[in-house]
Amino acid sequence: MPVLEQAFEDTPWPLKAWRALARHIGGLGVAATVVVGLAAVPLLFVIYSSSQLSLSGWQALWSHRLPSLLWNTLSLAVLVAVFSFILGVSSAWLIARRNFVGRKMATWLMILPLAIPTYVFAHIYTILFEEDGWIGSLWLNIFGDHLAIPDLYSIGGVTFILSIAGFSYVFLLVRSALAHSNPSLEEAARIQGLSPFSVFWRVNLPLLRPAIAAGLALVVLHVLSDFGAVSMLRYQTFTLSIYLQMNGRFDYQGAAGLSMVLVLLSFSFLIFERWSRSRQRYYASGTQLRRSKLRNASIFEQCLIWLWLGLITLFAFALPLLWMLDWSFQAWQQDLLDAAFWSYVSNSLIVAAGAATLAIIVAFPVAFFHTRKRSTLSASYIQLSSIGFVLPGPVIALGVLSFILTVLSPLYGGLAALLMALVVRFLPLAVQSQEAALQNLTPSIEQAGRILGAGPLENLRRVVLPMISNGMVVAWVLVFIDAMKELPATLILRPTGFDTLPVRIWIEASEESLELAAPAALMLVLGTLPALWIMMRNEKQVVSKA
Amino acid sequence: MKRYWQQGLVGLLLASFLAAASAVQAEELVVYSGRKDKFITPLIKKFTEETGVKVVLHTAKSTALLNKLRIEGDRTVADLYISNDAGNLQTGSRLGLFQKIDKDLTKVIPADLRADDDTWVGLSARARVLVVNNNAKDLAFLKSVFDLADPRLKDRLAITHSSNGSFIAGVTVYQLSTSKAVVKDWLQGMKDNVGGKLFSKHSKIVKAVASGKKDVGLVNHYYIYRHLAKYPDAPISILIPDQQDMGMGVAWNVAGIGISKHTKKKALAEKLVAYFLSEQGQRQFAAVNNEYPTRKGVEAAAEVPAAGSYKVADVPMQKLGMHRIETLDLLDVIGMP
Repeated sequence: MPVLEQAFEDTPWPLKAWRALARHIGGLGVAATVVVGLAAVPLLFVIYSSSQLSLSGWQALWSHRLPSLLWNTLSLAVLVAVFSFILGVSSAWLIARRNFVGRKMATWLMILPLAIPTYVFAHIYTILFEEDGWIGSLWLNIFGDHLAIPDLYSIGGVTFILSIAGFSYVFLLVRSALAHSNPSLEEAARIQGLSPFSVFWRVNLPLLRPAIAAGLALVVLHVLSDFGAVSMLRYQTFTLSIYLQMNGRFDYQGAAGLSMVLVLLSFSFLIFERWSRSRQRYYASGTQLRRSKLRNASIFEQCLIWLWLGLITLFAFALPLLWMLDWSFQAWQQDLLDAAFWSYVSNSLIVAAGAATLAIIVAFPVAFFHTRKRSTLSASYIQLSSIGFVLPGPVIALGVLSFILTVLSPLYGGLAALLMALVVRFLPLAVQSQEAALQNLTPSIEQAGRILGAGPLENLRRVVLPMISNGMVVAWVLVFIDAMKELPATLILRPTGFDTLPVRIWIEASEESLELAAPAALMLVLGTLPALWIMMRNEKQVVSKA
Repeated sequence: MKRYWQQGLVGLLLASFLAAASAVQAEELVVYSGRKDKFITPLIKKFTEETGVKVVLHTAKSTALLNKLRIEGDRTVADLYISNDAGNLQTGSRLGLFQKIDKDLTKVIPADLRADDDTWVGLSARARVLVVNNNAKDLAFLKSVFDLADPRLKDRLAITHSSNGSFIAGVTVYQLSTSKAVVKDWLQGMKDNVGGKLFSKHSKIVKAVASGKKDVGLVNHYYIYRHLAKYPDAPISILIPDQQDMGMGVAWNVAGIGISKHTKKKALAEKLVAYFLSEQGQRQFAAVNNEYPTRKGVEAAAEVPAAGSYKVADVPMQKLGMHRIETLDLLDVIGMP
């Protein structure tokens, strides 16, 4: 024993600490530590760079920037949350509680907007709202000069774009929660004489709180990290301001200082959201197998329902799609879709599939560690792994770039940097859906496997992974969809001459080449559709997250 | 299962190595370009045809690419950097990202359109001018860009938002030609005149002036000719400002090119620069975008007012980089939208 202790003392302290940690948390914990360590690279970059910011630098930020940025960002987040709530909850309730013609299709129509990135929405709507655009000219026909065409370059415009781009998250989570909630409660309330609206207000809504909170949290995090729409509409949020600080003034420290504030803001929001959800868990009592019966809607109701859902669809999917089809057709007629165009498509698919695959692999230890060995450490790992959601894309890209150049420089120049940035950005999606899937897996099943003689790896392969495969698929799809649409990190980190669809859309849009931006956007939507289909098939797994 | 993962990971790493390796071929140049693709690809196609050298164009915003170049340091794959703004080019020189270009190449370009240490050279130039609607009334007083702050132009003026690179460069020139106080008042006056209604693109300004929604706009000269090429009957004309006896002259800005400090293909890179600066290349620059060729003796397109026929502000292009941050601060203080 003394010999061993001696050997232990000779080793340098970081190694010693590491070994102690490894013994304490096991192989799984070590793997989780490595993953979280890598995910935290951009955060360390931000902390380091902002620590270089002088006091006067902070004061300058505080007096010139922060107040208006805080106001802009927070008011936008609140507005988008309110509108996403209205759109998402109303459509979810109608589809989950009423039977009407085309109900299945309506479900699809409500999630299709997820296939369109915010910068595509912004680009298309700025064109449609111009005086000679579809909406602009219609507006002039109706109102003439009495009422000016709404200006999209404003908080209202950005709210509109981000709400139609984001309400689907709320819809998905709330609809699932409604579909799986216990109908007896509503029936009891009805029997006691409440009107349908009161039932919704006093029974459904409180029960739906966790689902709504989770959906709105996703929406708000997307607002905080959105780069595409705010940069196209020039609405100064933290993300855009950080980008300008880096790229207009070459001031990394100032940018890092702003990022630091944004990180604190987002983290406190995340922690608050988790905390409020942890206190709000509703358990179904025993006999819950009965599904609630859909009430058939009358003809009049059906008209109203479709009027509302149709209006949402019109703006959130139909108009942008029609625009893309129109201009894509012109591009096709002009023979503009050459080999280069198809290489953008395949590049996008490669990057998104690669990032999604890597993300679900590296997310597994983090999620598994938290479900099996729940501790303060594992919980903080979960929090840390959500760093990708709270840091703006350009900042993640710079952090990863600096890290790869200094630590893994042989890897630089290929896809490694881009893939790492995308994995860091979307790791939270993978971790959360896997964590949700793992929660359904009671430890006793695993123990049974072990008792029957399976080793840890065999147990993992034959028991754990098959049981959470649905969750894995959902995780893969979620990352794939977001990675397909990702713009800011891809712009900075793509290998030279390696253009993806978002990059091309962005370039063509800034050059006002509509006939080239449109087919790229259309391919992006088409490329995302299969992923959405897989997700809907596995939808039950998403539910448990709420 | 785990083995598959490992194999997959190894495969992925290999793939990225291969991608990295294939990016570096012998007769190939990598250009970080902040210029619009359509203005540069015709020239590059021609260059490749004539020399057989392949050029990989990596397009993004000028400033973002400069940042990338800076962070990459000696790991960069870029051989050349193109920007549409002299301010960016000079910032790159200041940060030590470029190397000297052979004097024999640059000497055909006037000294005020390139860096004084030859670390970058201007390729094409553009003028900040006014576009006016021919039917607009009471514009006789309009002689200088500073008249744009005149309250008589309330709601009649069209300008871009202040994060536009050309706008920033123009403000820098005016500041260097007059004083900070003058420019500050001017910006404030314009801010009052536009009342929050700004334009996201120069092309939209020209369109608004042509349709009569606005009477006057501040733009780069080629946007006017681009619009006229599409709509020859548009009731707009160019007004070249600040030509009075004591006037400061028109603000110019150049798009230019620098050779990356860490390129391993300097000779090849200079070949591309030489092509861009050749009479043929310069004529092409003039043709694709109605800009002024920087090379002495090569004329701009016929419809464009000839260089030399009007007074240009006496501000060397490299100063645009040196005073850029001051301009940004000024815009911030005023809260220019």
